[in-house]
Amino acid sequence: MMNGSLSQRIYFFTLSCCVLFATILGSVIWSSQTVELAFARDSYAQQVDNQTNSLKQLVISDNIYSSSYSVSHWQSLQKKLTRLLKSSPKLTPSQQTVQNSIKSQNENLKRLFSQITKNKLKNASAAIKVHLKARLMMQLEAIRSDSLQLSSIAHTDIHNTIKHEAFFIIAVSGVSIVALLFGSFTLMHIVRKSLDEVKRAFKQNHSGHFQKIHLSHPSDEFDSIVKAFNGMNDKLSETTVSLAVMKKVVEERTHILEQLSNTDPLTKVANRRALFERASMEFSRAIRSKNKLTLLLLDCDFFKRINDEFGHLFGDELLIHICNICGQEIRDIDFLARYGGEEFIIILPNCDIKGGIETANRIQHSLACHCIAMKDKEICVTLSIGVCMLSEQHKDLEQLINDTDKAMYQAKENGRNRIEVLTPPNLH
Amino acid sequence: MDKKTLHLTAITLVICVGVIVFYVNYQSFWQPQKYLVTIAVSKTPLSTPFYVAKAIDAFDGTCVNVKFDEVIGGQKAFAKVMNGEADFGTSSDSVIAFQSLANKDFVTHVMFVQSDNDVKLITRPSAQINSAIRLKGKRIGVTKGTASEYFLSILLALEGLTTEDVQLFHFKPDELVHGFIDNKIDAFVPWEPFAFHSTKLLNKQIKIHDTKSLNILSFNLISLIADKELVEKAKCVIEGLTLAIDYIASHPEKAKRIVINELKLSAEFIEWVWPDYIFKLGLNQSLILSIKSQAIWAVETKMTEHNDIPNIENFIDSRAMLQVDPGAVNIPL
Repeated sequence: MMNGSLSQRIYFFTLSCCVLFATILGSVIWSSQTVELAFARDSYAQQVDNQTNSLKQLVISDNIYSSSYSVSHWQSLQKKLTRLLKSSPKLTPSQQTVQNSIKSQNENLKRLFSQITKNKLKNASAAIKVHLKARLMMQLEAIRSDSLQLSSIAHTDIHNTIKHEAFFIIAVSGVSIVALLFGSFTLMHIVRKSLDEVKRAFKQNHSGHFQKIHLSHPSDEFDSIVKAFNGMNDKLSETTVSLAVMKKVVEERTHILEQLSNTDPLTKVANRRALFERASMEFSRAIRSKNKLTLLLLDCDFFKRINDEFGHLFGDELLIHICNICGQEIRDIDFLARYGGEEFIIILPNCDIKGGIETANRIQHSLACHCIAMKDKEICVTLSIGVCMLSEQHKDLEQLINDTDKAMYQAKENGRNRIEVLTPPNLH
Repeated sequence: MDKKTLHLTAITLVICVGVIVFYVNYQSFWQPQKYLVTIAVSKTPLSTPFYVAKAIDAFDGTCVNVKFDEVIGGQKAFAKVMNGEADFGTSSDSVIAFQSLANKDFVTHVMFVQSDNDVKLITRPSAQINSAIRLKGKRIGVTKGTASEYFLSILLALEGLTTEDVQLFHFKPDELVHGFIDNKIDAFVPWEPFAFHSTKLLNKQIKIHDTKSLNILSFNLISLIADKELVEKAKCVIEGLTLAIDYIASHPEKAKRIVINELKLSAEFIEWVWPDYIFKLGLNQSLILSIKSQAIWAVETKMTEHNDIPNIENFIDSRAMLQVDPGAVNIPL
């Protein structure tokens, strides 16, 4: 029952209602028939009573001992009573006892009357005549009392039948109402609870938690929904990526893209775009906090010639080598970027001209120490480095870069592999 | 089935069982105190309702525990009630009529049986008595102050005779037949079972006259004038009798068997008297009329030394019967 379908429950419910209704209807029909029969018995008892009263009347009004008295009137009434007693309706056992008594009393009545009227008691005294008349009256009274008792039993039967019927209807109705209320509340509870469980599952789905529905009150109807939902959920959980995972992937990809867009693909150091981004940030910071800022612009000497002589691949390798050397010689806070071709810029925050020259020196020295091997031949390159420190004349970053560029050109002009500083009077 | 349903079912079951147990034991919960009552029961098949009630334990559900004191004849039962040896007694309406004339302090609670052929006239066939008129001058045995004496006087009166016209001999009911055998009397008027015993004893030597319907004998439950407690006891005795009478109506053969065993009677005898009996509880006008007419008759025929007819209604107490079956009570209140 508990695992049946809701429609089964409703059918069962409806069927039960029909059965209860039929029971009440049946009992009403039964009791109405019982009452009808009891009324028939009552009416029979009344007729016996009336008939007996007629006979009594006769005994009181007529002188039965008179010689002129005719017995025919009595006999016809007596016959009527006997016929009536034979035509009794179906009686209850207790009424049957009374009925037997009436019949027997009636027989006695007949015998007594015939005794009395046989010879008009010609020898008898007045006393015995009165006495026998009294006996006759007593006999009639006995029949009358019995008929009253019959009637009273019928009344009691009617009363009891109605009382029992009322009690039965009230009891059946009471039980029905309780059962109906229980049934409807259970149904409502199951439907509401199952709906809530389905709704909650949808909500959780919405927020990306793919959970199966477990019905606390299984029913065929909801089971089919749950089965479909759980199937769909399984598929969704296989194919759908959660928002958090997606965010992470996007962040990772964005990070990689950002790195790609800021990095020189060959040397893996920052490219020109990243350089300007970082440089303008450091420039603004230096201006704001009145810190020192020094730029180095490095250019590989005779790079074109090396390219031509050893090929572009070697040129590329050389550029990577220079970047590695620079990377080793600068501080963590310093920033190396490819400015273009064989030109690199190093941003040195919180560094004065002296520190800049030192760094440039270290780089040149390290590069001189680490030549690059090419077909059993050591090839050493040099750098021309321009150094310029931010000063009050620099209104923007471009001016600072330009001045550093000028210093580098001076280094080129002054014989390469050297460091030139653009001093304030020469600044733009 | 989930836990909640299980609990609900269990609770419903417990309540149902509780209600059933309470309903079944309802009567014993409210069972009033039991009274021990002694009933002087006349040893005649007319007392069948009492024997049946005892046999089917009909008094068990009532407020009385009943003890029977078996006596021969309603007169003896009456005496036992009057001298306090018994709470109740069974008594014929004739006895009641005679005793009411003596203005004894007793009441009748209910009539439980009637017979229209209990008292019989027995003569010798050789005497050729075909009519009561032939009884004139004969020696007739009766039991004084009972239906036997009353019945004889009626028989005689029908032919214009009185008890003065015959020689009356008084015997105890069980000794009548011996008086007849010893030829002390020519005729006798016994009641059952003595009439039947006489036929068994003397077979063809007696003649039983057809006097059916001439006298209706009823047996009644009597006690001393009842106080509230005695009425309550009477009510309970009547409740037991009601069950017994229903049993007699629905199981007549079993009822006959009970009486046969209790009174050590032959089945033949029971078959002999049974058709004359009407077992029915009632308290109606006809009983009053019957007692009254017998009392008047006793006075007029000088069967008693009393001359005043008392108010018979004073010897009827309908309170107990009204509580058990008001429909069977038809007397002016």
